[in-house]
Amino acid sequence: MIPQASLRALRETLGPACVREDEGDRVDGEPLAPTLRPADAGALAEALRALGRLSLACVIRGGGSRLELGNPPRGASLLLSTAALAGVDEFDASEGVCHVGAGTPLAAIQALVEPSGWQLPLDPPGAGSTLGGALAAAALGPRAQGFGRPRDCVLGLEVALADGSRTHCGGRVVKNVTGYDLNKLYTGSLGTLGVIESAWLRLRPLPARVALLEFASDRLAAACAGALAAGRRPSARAASLLASRADTGARPFGVVIELAGDEASVERDAAWCGSELGAAPAAPDALARVRERQGSTPGGDGLRFRIAGLASRCALALAALEDAGAELLAHPALGLVYAGFALPGREDPEAAEAAFRCALAAAEAGGGAALLEAGPAWAKRGRDVFGDLGRALALARELKRRFDPAGLLNPGRFAGHL
Amino acid sequence: MHLMSGLLERLRGIVGAEACLARPEELLVYECDGLTLHRAQPTAVVLPRSRDEVCRVVRACREFGVPFVPRGAGTGLSGGAVARGGGVVIECSRMDRIVLLDPVDRFAVVEPGVVNAELSKAAAPHGLFYAPDPSSQLVCTIGGNVAENSGGPHTLKYGTTTQHVLGLELVLPDGEVVQLGSRSGFAGGYDLVGAVVGSEGTLGIVTQATVRLEPIPERVETLLAIFPDVVSACRAVGGVIQAGLVPAALEIVDQRTIAAVEASVYAAGLPLDAGAVLLVEVDGPACSLPAQVQRIREIAAASGATRVEVARDAAERQRFWRARKGAFGAMGRLAPDLYVHDAVVPRARLPEVLARICAIGDRHGLRLSNVFHAGDGNLHPNISFDRRDPDELARVLAAGVEILEECVAAGGVITGEHGIGSEKRDFMGLLFSEADLDAMKRLRASFDPEGVCNPEKIFPSTRFCAESNPKARGYERVPFDP
Repeated sequence: MIPQASLRALRETLGPACVREDEGDRVDGEPLAPTLRPADAGALAEALRALGRLSLACVIRGGGSRLELGNPPRGASLLLSTAALAGVDEFDASEGVCHVGAGTPLAAIQALVEPSGWQLPLDPPGAGSTLGGALAAAALGPRAQGFGRPRDCVLGLEVALADGSRTHCGGRVVKNVTGYDLNKLYTGSLGTLGVIESAWLRLRPLPARVALLEFASDRLAAACAGALAAGRRPSARAASLLASRADTGARPFGVVIELAGDEASVERDAAWCGSELGAAPAAPDALARVRERQGSTPGGDGLRFRIAGLASRCALALAALEDAGAELLAHPALGLVYAGFALPGREDPEAAEAAFRCALAAAEAGGGAALLEAGPAWAKRGRDVFGDLGRALALARELKRRFDPAGLLNPGRFAGHL
Repeated sequence: MHLMSGLLERLRGIVGAEACLARPEELLVYECDGLTLHRAQPTAVVLPRSRDEVCRVVRACREFGVPFVPRGAGTGLSGGAVARGGGVVIECSRMDRIVLLDPVDRFAVVEPGVVNAELSKAAAPHGLFYAPDPSSQLVCTIGGNVAENSGGPHTLKYGTTTQHVLGLELVLPDGEVVQLGSRSGFAGGYDLVGAVVGSEGTLGIVTQATVRLEPIPERVETLLAIFPDVVSACRAVGGVIQAGLVPAALEIVDQRTIAAVEASVYAAGLPLDAGAVLLVEVDGPACSLPAQVQRIREIAAASGATRVEVARDAAERQRFWRARKGAFGAMGRLAPDLYVHDAVVPRARLPEVLARICAIGDRHGLRLSNVFHAGDGNLHPNISFDRRDPDELARVLAAGVEILEECVAAGGVITGEHGIGSEKRDFMGLLFSEADLDAMKRLRASFDPEGVCNPEKIFPSTRFCAESNPKARGYERVPFDP
């Protein structure tokens, strides 16, 4: 709860249009309101300075599609929304770059650039995802196979730091080593080092041809091997394995393949997928189903882990999870597995513990690490959803201390409870 | 003096007497890197063989209060590997093992002294290669590439070093070792791998890198297009990009460079009256290339190309590339020194910026030519000169500043792949505000609070002095904390 005097002070400083008392959201089960909704980057910096003066910590919200990611906040008083920092204020269609406000929905960017032959190389799950939120969470979708990691499309960022100073890093050009690459540091930092105001993005040319295929298998290992092989075809933009939920009668392991590129490459890879994997044209919404599953948790209140490991050991990780009855989705060529565990509606620490143990064992089998992407607050308690940072934690602490010494931005939410 | 002899004794004890250089004649070669204008003699040079030796050297330096500078092959072009104001250079060339090459998961774990081209050679039997290919790839090392986030002609399609580094082992400036990233490229916490790549050796010393390997493309086609002028060549580049093609390389060589190349041993048979040459390389599945080559031919012709050739075999491909890669060697004939500039502008601004850059060179009476990564908008104006001529040197430096200002005014940046180093630190203000630089300093201080690892680089000198000089503290100092 925010003290009335602080609320009054915020209203006086920032104006009633910015301080939305009736607007809030639940973060890890706790209602959080009001919401500060600065109208522009200047107002964002002003809001941060006001929070600093009043020692009020905030949870940063973009489109609200990924608020479940992170450890439960520690002592946050309100929400800070970047939703009003929306719009594409520059789009250079000859260059394939654009400058976009953090609150802009990804779908709006895509709609703007597509008619000029470009695509935004970000496709995370979550309707209403905004650019700022997607970058802060380094959120990726099945097309990461072709698009690369979210950090790869960030050319430059404008970032408001916790002390209200407005900064920028990188630039608008596609190649740049001028100073430290802070783009990388902010991307994936969950807003704990600063609040992204806007970004220069590198777009990708729209492919001349796209083909969507799928095949199914009774065997997990065979499906995984097929998805891996498909994902390594030159034109593969996505290759995802989807284990169907128990009650469907279909063959249990489906693989969705998206090929994108020039006519000849797509034609050739499609023929290969047909003859080698028995793949056939898929329904138009096949990739949307993959994305939807990647962003959902069993029963809505279960646990969802992301396990990142080696592509060659993806099948081992999947096997470990299948035995435990987890819901499975994977992008095998990326070494990524998403595992959902249903939980009983009430607090059941033993069930959560069993799921964590299973996810960690799968990570071990897959040669990687597990991260809890979503789960009820009680299951997060006493744990770090990001896993163990090892000795890098000391560096992370130093960074947090220097960028946000008072702990105003998403306190407690990030790796190491920073 | 006593202090220094104590340090030398300690260093010899760590790496062995033969791997610790301190005599002036031994140190000569370490006075500069590929940028010969910036020179400073280090206190000593050590050549450790292992991570543990690096840790011990770093601790010894700290104990004696002496800064240290990591160095790879010394091919950098921004004076980044020079020990300004003395200090110990830690050269990693003897840590040159490929620790692991995993052809199944397509990555390699290498020590920093592994030569860039050697890694691709080792990966070739598995059908893989290491994509970043700076011009110096036959000698430059992965450690140096990581420090500089090196590019090369093929970054247009494959990206720069940062897109290929998955994990790092780093000796921190306090001598501790930290593992960053992972073999999968995904790791929890801040993207510290991304922060360290391109940090120019100021955040620690990389002792191992896990890098991605790419499948060798099935086929490569190389085209050489002759244009009457640079403007029409740039128009073709824009046309290729707008057509949605992503060539592996898009390089332009201007007329002044053609003249120099054709007069040298690198002669590639280019017409001397050509205004510019555009080199385009496309790679990928064999079936996809004929259509791409055809499209590029059409775009080149429509942009005004007088001739377009496609390399018929490997020998011809090499001849085409000689026009590009032989440029720096050919410049060597013109004058004793070569200043290779490095800046980036939005591609659409290339023609006008190039014209202004040539005008700057002419105004200062300099021999200035251009070869550049046109697809990335990455310019490399080259100035041939003689640094023994103080007047010419002054004009070279003055022209350099004007070139950077032009590029920034066009929406560009002051370095695309060579780094800031000591060369451009005082021009950071052209792009960054106090607050921007302060954010970078927060990163620096998180790794190296005392500023002992490769000091006097990246950040502008006056401010750095204010910070490192205790007497200046509190005076014009940008505070870390609000």
